[in-house]
Formats: sequence, structure tokens, C-alpha cells
Amino acid sequence: MKVAELADKLHLECLTKEGDLNLEVTGCYIGDLLSWVMGRAMEGDAWITVMSNVNIIAVATLSNVSCIILAESVTPDPAVLEKADAQGINVLRSTLSSFEIAKQISEVAGL
Amino acid sequence: MKELSLHILDIVKNSVKAGATLIGIDIIESVQADELTIVISDNGCGMSKDFLARVRDPFTTTRTTRKVGMGIPLYEAAALQCDGRFDITSEVNVGTTVTAVFGLSHIDRAPLGDMAETMTTLVSGSPEIDFCYTHQTDTNRFVFDTREIRKELGEVPLNLPDVILWIDAFIKEGLTTLALSRGETNK
Repeated sequence: MKVAELADKLHLECLTKEGDLNLEVTGCYIGDLLSWVMGRAMEGDAWITVMSNVNIIAVATLSNVSCIILAESVTPDPAVLEKADAQGINVLRSTLSSFEIAKQISEVAGL
Repeated sequence: MKELSLHILDIVKNSVKAGATLIGIDIIESVQADELTIVISDNGCGMSKDFLARVRDPFTTTRTTRKVGMGIPLYEAAALQCDGRFDITSEVNVGTTVTAVFGLSHIDRAPLGDMAETMTTLVSGSPEIDFCYTHQTDTNRFVFDTREIRKELGEVPLNLPDVILWIDAFIKEGLTTLALSRGETNK
């Protein structure tokens, strides 16, 4: 399932403009300890986190996740979306908890 | 990272790569100020003003040189997420100092980790470099300085297994005494 479709089905708010919404979501990873996520999130994963500093964009770039989903209405730091657009990273946001988001991804994407 | 000592290892590796011959690791745990301060200083090649301005940005660093990587941005974030502060000063051909201050009792502060293991890892990996590790509380101070050990050992390299074992025991004992002196049994 593509990022755009996932965003639509889960009613995710798309915070970035330059990301590639045609990327395929092939898995899901939940994590907030960035050094941990760096070594474990897989290419194509939808990465769910509550972290909101600019380092999340760097981690997304390194791990090639298909999108970042900010859980529980987290507000990103000002520089985050600018960096995300510069790097072509999708940043989406949900009001739900990480668990609820992951559960819904599993349901709608058949993961 | 799950422990601050892993950040220390990471930052000290930068000092080693910078050609430092002396690296200082100063830890100050102040219950009174509710702060844990870690100062890592070296006499390595230092950074230009331009590079220093970019080194805290995860992108310019990962893009231009892989050796720096996410080390500094993650260390800074670890300090800031527990109401801390972070600063780097550097001068070309003089050296670099990285100072991180953490809220000691903040719930998001990672534990310090095993400093004896950290120091033996560093000494084993770079036996030719001198390390001075000081650990201070509100009432006491512990010092481990390879220059002092070299005076005793003469030409014997610091990375011999017996020497490393001795260093490990020396630091463990020193830190236990430090913890006991403030009425605690762990770090």
C-alpha cells in the first residue's frame, strides 16, 4: 500500500509537501530511542514515533523508511518540516497512540 | 542510546580520530544542583569555525563525513530531553571540548552506564593515548589518570591483559567508594 493511501485510510495529517507519497509501505516500526531505531527500522517501514526533534529526519534518511508517523498529535520542532521537505521525507501525524496506529496499519495494509 | 557511557565512547572516538594525545573525561554529579555534567576535552586537531558551526546538524555531518555520523546530534538530544544543555568549543591545532549537562533526577535521563568498562575499552583500543577520567560528587572526587599509571609501569604497554584487569578493578573500587560516601550503593 502506498503512503498516500495509508494517510487517507488512517486519516493522517500530512505535514510535509515534498515527500514522495507514492512510496510503498512494506512494514511498520515503532520506536523513540533514535540510536535504536537507526539499526532496526527497515526500508519501506512506516515509522511511528513521539520524538519530534530534527534528528528524526536524519534517521528516516539513513533507514529509508517510507514515512514518519507522529503519534498522539505530537508537534514537531520548527526546523523539522523544513528539513523533511529538503530531504523528501514524508511526515504524517495522527491523534492516536502508537499502538492504535500500528493496529490500523496492520488491518488496512494487510501486514 | 540506552546509557550515557555509550555516548562517551562515541565522542571520545572522535577525539582519537582527531589525533589527540591526551583526552580528559570529567564527570560531575551534583545532587545539590541536580545536574550531571560530562566534559570531554582533547588536544587533537580541533575544528574550523565553519565545521564547528555545522557539526551539530545531523545532515551536513552525515553527508560530508561518515566518521562523525549521528554521534553529536544524538548526544545533544540526550542532554536536551532531560532539561540539560550542550556546548562544543574547538580551536584548530589546540583541541576540542564537548560539554553536556543533564538533569540528574530527570526521568528521561539515561543512566550513566559502566564507566570501568568504558575506560578499559578506550585504553585497550588506544594504549598510546593518555586518558584522565575524573568523577566528582558534591563531597568527593575520584581520579583515574593513565599518566600516573605509566610512571609506575615504565615501558610496559597499558593494553596488557593484567594491566587492563587492574584498571577495571581500580575504577570499580573507586566509584563504589564514591557512591558509598554519599550513602548510595549504585550509580
